[in-house]
Amino acid sequence: MTETTHIRNFCIVAHIDHGKSTLADRLLELTHAVAEREMRDQYLDKMDLERERGITIKAQAVRLAHQAGGKNYELNLIDTPGHVDFTYEVSRSLAACEGAVLLVDAAQGIEAQTLANYHLARDAGLSIIPVVNKIDLPQADPEETARELGELVGWRPEDVLRVSAKTGDGVTNLIDRVVELVPAPEGRREDSLRALIFDSTFDPYRGVVAYIRVRDGVLSSRAKIRLMGANLESEAEECGVFAPEATPSPELGPGEVGYLVTGMKDVHQAKVGDTITIAGRHRAREPLPGYREPTPMVWSGLFPAEGGDYSELREALDKLKLNDAALRYEPETSQALGFGFRCGFLGLLHMDIVKERLEREFGLELIATAPNVEFHVVRDGRVTVVHNPSEMPQPGTYDHVEEPVVLATVITPSEYLGPVLDLCQSRRGELVDMKYLSPERAEVHYHLPLAEIIFDFFDHLKSRTRGYASLDYEHWGYEPADMVRVDMLLHGEPVDAFSSVVHRAKAPQYGRRMAERLRELIPRQLFDVAIQATIGSRVIARETVKAKRKDVLAKCYGGDITRKRKLLEEQKKGKARLRRVGRVDVPQEAFIAALRVDERAGDKR
Amino acid sequence: MTAGLYVHVPFCLTRCGYCDFNAYAGLGDLAPRYVRALEAEAALWAGEWRDERFASVFLGGGTPTTLKAADLAGLLVRLRDRFDVTPDAEVTIEANPDTVDEAKLSALLEAGYTRLSMGAQSFDPLVLQSLERVHSPGSVRRAYANARAAGCANVNLDLIYGASGETLASWRRTLEETIALGPEHVSAYALTIEPATPLGRKVQAGLVPPPDPDLQADMFGLACELLGDAGHEHYEVSNWSKPGFACRHNLGYWERRPYLGLGAGAHSCRGGRRWWNVRPPREYLDAVEDDTRPIGGEERLMAQDERLEEVFLKLRILEGLPTESVDADTASTFLDEGLLAHRNGHLVPTERGMLLLNELVLALAGE
Repeated sequence: MTETTHIRNFCIVAHIDHGKSTLADRLLELTHAVAEREMRDQYLDKMDLERERGITIKAQAVRLAHQAGGKNYELNLIDTPGHVDFTYEVSRSLAACEGAVLLVDAAQGIEAQTLANYHLARDAGLSIIPVVNKIDLPQADPEETARELGELVGWRPEDVLRVSAKTGDGVTNLIDRVVELVPAPEGRREDSLRALIFDSTFDPYRGVVAYIRVRDGVLSSRAKIRLMGANLESEAEECGVFAPEATPSPELGPGEVGYLVTGMKDVHQAKVGDTITIAGRHRAREPLPGYREPTPMVWSGLFPAEGGDYSELREALDKLKLNDAALRYEPETSQALGFGFRCGFLGLLHMDIVKERLEREFGLELIATAPNVEFHVVRDGRVTVVHNPSEMPQPGTYDHVEEPVVLATVITPSEYLGPVLDLCQSRRGELVDMKYLSPERAEVHYHLPLAEIIFDFFDHLKSRTRGYASLDYEHWGYEPADMVRVDMLLHGEPVDAFSSVVHRAKAPQYGRRMAERLRELIPRQLFDVAIQATIGSRVIARETVKAKRKDVLAKCYGGDITRKRKLLEEQKKGKARLRRVGRVDVPQEAFIAALRVDERAGDKR
Repeated sequence: MTAGLYVHVPFCLTRCGYCDFNAYAGLGDLAPRYVRALEAEAALWAGEWRDERFASVFLGGGTPTTLKAADLAGLLVRLRDRFDVTPDAEVTIEANPDTVDEAKLSALLEAGYTRLSMGAQSFDPLVLQSLERVHSPGSVRRAYANARAAGCANVNLDLIYGASGETLASWRRTLEETIALGPEHVSAYALTIEPATPLGRKVQAGLVPPPDPDLQADMFGLACELLGDAGHEHYEVSNWSKPGFACRHNLGYWERRPYLGLGAGAHSCRGGRRWWNVRPPREYLDAVEDDTRPIGGEERLMAQDERLEEVFLKLRILEGLPTESVDADTASTFLDEGLLAHRNGHLVPTERGMLLLNELVLALAGE
């Protein structure tokens, strides 16, 4: 156990691709935390998905040893996820630190996530060390970036550190600066134990492993522990530190960061943000602040492409949930798609990750319905939460609907400011404020309905700014909105999977687009198929798939018979894969294509 | 039950862009060897097919009339030597307009050929060009006149509709010209794009638009109307004839009678077994010259295969399916929709039903 005066707990926060993982790698190398032959890029990102996408999904921690002024220091680097979906998780990781390195790419300058992360870190009361990275790049502008960054955090530009995480230039200097500027943790050994859970994972052999930061008191292996938020007790089977792999340690003292094998079997029992204390009369009275239940923001129905895979999907979700406390799901039955689950996610990236993991790790083929936000339907002052469009009551049966609104931050080159403002306006945005970071770059804040962001907002933002704009947002609250449910009818039958809740002003356009899309996707049948978009009983768009007139083999002589019979067998197999909606046969691909979101959520930054 | 004898001649003057038959341009030098091989192959099967009575012989291709009249005459004699071909058998030979003159046709009739099937395809020069046919409408008229002058009393004209650029009006002119000539038999095929053909590749590459199925449906309807008015009976999806002139040989395929195929890539069927010869002419020649049967593959028909074949072949012709052999509920839907009709205790597709035959087959063959 290290004296608190020699501990420094810090994290690195940055916009995506500004070099966080590379800097972490250099820190591991320069402090000899990892043997040279075991070093690899993105060392702390353990999941394949993280490495492929260059993002951090699960928080990690690693202990670094450093000598300064003849003293040995224990530095705990906490690697946090960076995406807006995981803002709460990030805030807990930040709460486990006393300092943050705010990293900015010298060629890009401040981006939306830089600001979001800075505000989170500042609100968490952390000491902030601004650092300009990638000074080795030919197009780097360290001076201008240092000026912007200094202005943001209130430092003189010349005091802002300049490093190249890639070459290692300036990184040792940065470590010294962390020791010098990040305060030592407070907290006394003799106080009752209070440790913050900033992430947890499920290990099939050991059960739930919580990543923790001890605030007060001492946690020792074999201690009886109590989770204050969950109101549960268990035994600390083992505690230890990450050096960089999990290494048992008899105890963790104040200020230390490590792990705890909880003896629990369900990750939902050890949720991010909860406080661990000692069971019994020495328990702490007050939990650490900030605990809250993860709240899904985006919902989508997941259905197995092959109807028979329902139980496999259930099993896969059950397993995935062990490691993902934010994932929610409940059985859902769709007339069109059969048995599946309505799932709640923290955001689109989270949804995309879950879907990809289900497909990749469990070999499932899935159909996901279009994501939707959670609506509050108010009637006589009572609120009903709706997270499935097909459950949205018909107009006239409620007083009003409220939808989630976010505060969005967009940073854009000034020359594209007009198009950015136009885009936000067209998405029912309300301008909050706007300022220039420099004559060339502007920062805009908008209140935007979340529902407007989860479709193709980011794609449009990127295409209108030649890819230069960055976006971040935080949840703001619920506000009344004139939302209506649009149903899609095939041959007079509503198809639940295609129902959607949209703003009244946009309903006609939405209905037309869906109807046109379905007209292209639904194969011709033996009769005319009417495709209608409706609000209640009112038809707002209509298309027709004309009846098929010709489906016959023109020639069939001696040599053709075997081949033609096989063609017919193929056609028959194809028919077996159609889903029948009323009298209309709809191929699976039509569902997938019609429900496809135009952007890949994971690329949303 | 009588059988049919098919003889495949894989040689053509040129290859047409839409054709996926086993046919080759530029192999004409092999012709003498090939004729001998056909005769040799006949000998290889003669014993096994000794008890079958052949009511039809059909020389198809390729272009059989690329062979010399003397070879074709001799071939027919040898076939009659080897097999029990009935005296009044229908003996068809396929011809391209540019490969027959009056003298050749007279020789063929004299040798015992009774029916001439000619690939006219269209009377619109633009459509012929689109199909990459080398002949002209004029040469069809000339060849037809030659056939009549030679005394041929049973002539079929093959037509193709739906090529890129063909309009309903142009198709009407083709039908009218055809009817004006007065053939006993007309085959009219909706152009089908086969992927492994030059035309298929052009369509795939977006260089040529695929046929418009709705226009082809209209063209089919027009063919039914005009040919019907001219006294033709519509006896198979793509075939019309004056009474008594339905092609006996082809009916054998749809009625599921046995047939023996000779020549490269030719198919045979008998007793629940189908087999086919190797396709490349040289491989075929090597095998036969080596005194072995040139079989390239075979299949045994399972009960469900037989059922599917029964349904999709019998629905193509006027015979149809016995009403009691079909699930009544399924049938009634199609009867209500006017796709099926009752006829002599059988279910037969209507004109609209013929165009949607695959749908009918899949529904009615359901196990």
